[in-house]
Amino acid sequence: MAVKPPQATMFGVTAVRAIEGLLVPAGASRAELDDAELIAAIKRIDPGSREALYHRYKKRVYGLALRIVGPGDAEEVAQEAFIRIFRGLPKFRGDAALSTWIYRLAVNAALSHRTRRAGARLLTRDSDSQPDAQVDKTIEAQPAAEPIQGDAVLRARLERALVRLPTGYRTVIVLHDVEGLEHEEIASILRCHVGTSKSQLHKARARLREILAADGITAEALQNG
Amino acid sequence: MAIGSSTTCGQSPETLSAFVDGDLSPSQAQTVRAHAAACPQCTISIAELTAMVTAARGLERPEPPPSLWPAVEGAMARHERPWWLSLRLFGSGALAGAVAVSVVALGLASWRTHRATAPLVAPVAQVTVVASADPLLNEAEAEFASAAAAYERSIEKLRALLAREEPRWSPAERARCTERLAQLDDAIATSRQLAHRSPGDTVGNEQLFAAYQQKIAFLAEAVHRGGTFGEGDPPR
Repeated sequence: MAVKPPQATMFGVTAVRAIEGLLVPAGASRAELDDAELIAAIKRIDPGSREALYHRYKKRVYGLALRIVGPGDAEEVAQEAFIRIFRGLPKFRGDAALSTWIYRLAVNAALSHRTRRAGARLLTRDSDSQPDAQVDKTIEAQPAAEPIQGDAVLRARLERALVRLPTGYRTVIVLHDVEGLEHEEIASILRCHVGTSKSQLHKARARLREILAADGITAEALQNG
Repeated sequence: MAIGSSTTCGQSPETLSAFVDGDLSPSQAQTVRAHAAACPQCTISIAELTAMVTAARGLERPEPPPSLWPAVEGAMARHERPWWLSLRLFGSGALAGAVAVSVVALGLASWRTHRATAPLVAPVAQVTVVASADPLLNEAEAEFASAAAAYERSIEKLRALLAREEPRWSPAERARCTERLAQLDDAIATSRQLAHRSPGDTVGNEQLFAAYQQKIAFLAEAVHRGGTFGEGDPPR
């Protein structure tokens, strides 16, 4: 369960906010800072810098969590990912792009969560072919709540098909096809070889095609969607 | 035609996927192209894969719930809370005061052993001289003073934080806080007198440090909880 928000007078929140904005360079908003400047600001403990980074990456982290662990646990995983990010940033050396590093922590948080919950493996192997029943169940419950039409139907069915993939397949296909990462980045995130990332992706797609076919989704629907 | 329909030509789906991504070598890609030109099933499969990847790329990144950032911020604030806010009233942790008391107790034991073996020619005068000259006792007294100073600094920081929070409180809450702080200050003053009544008084210093801890615990709670201090744990 996600940690509750702090009280209005939580120590460290209001105390920090009291000097909010004092250290922001004149004429520069947090949104305008590039990643390197934002990292430097966070290392200096500039007020508001963490929140700026959060807003920059919140959709990526939450989206990844949502698609790996499902809606029931996504907020908790995203929270854990951001805590890991903020705790790890002072030691971040910039060996990888910030986004890659953030993806890695988010994926690790999600996979750790799944491991804790279901004893799943970090990287799916061929033998890991069982879909995630728990995630599937929560996703299944979602679209039926209200009628959706057209593109929304297709997206929902595609999302549902993704959920039916084994965790490792789902992770690599989300990173590559949904998030648009390169295999080199994925290999760095998953700490595997580039070739492994590619072969996992191709197998994942083959499996996804089978799932979509079983759901009656046509190529024309996808092309027109 | 439904996606995923199997092909009978023997072309592997993984190869077609790699082809779609441009991951094949030029010669391999040319082979697939040549094969697909003569194989309607593979032509369709390539179109399906392309459509599937395009559809996946079109999936939106969902907006997280608004409660996520406050939860992250709150968790970080709790994680980074200074150590002195973790002190428990009369706790049994590695408190500076407890350490100091232990050090002084050891110092006193050593000093008493030393005194017991020393000649007792002029007892009253000797106690005064030995107490001020014994390096172990002096060191222990310095530990007491250092621990007390650390407590005072912690209290000072918390008072500064409290001063920022108090304006948000109601007059009644401020009055209650002032009253409680006065009681705690009285307890500290009394304990300090006890601690200083004789050199190396471990019992008196224990009481003094307990009073400091009590004040720190109160201030931490007041800073943390605001004007609702002392009203039980916040709902979780």
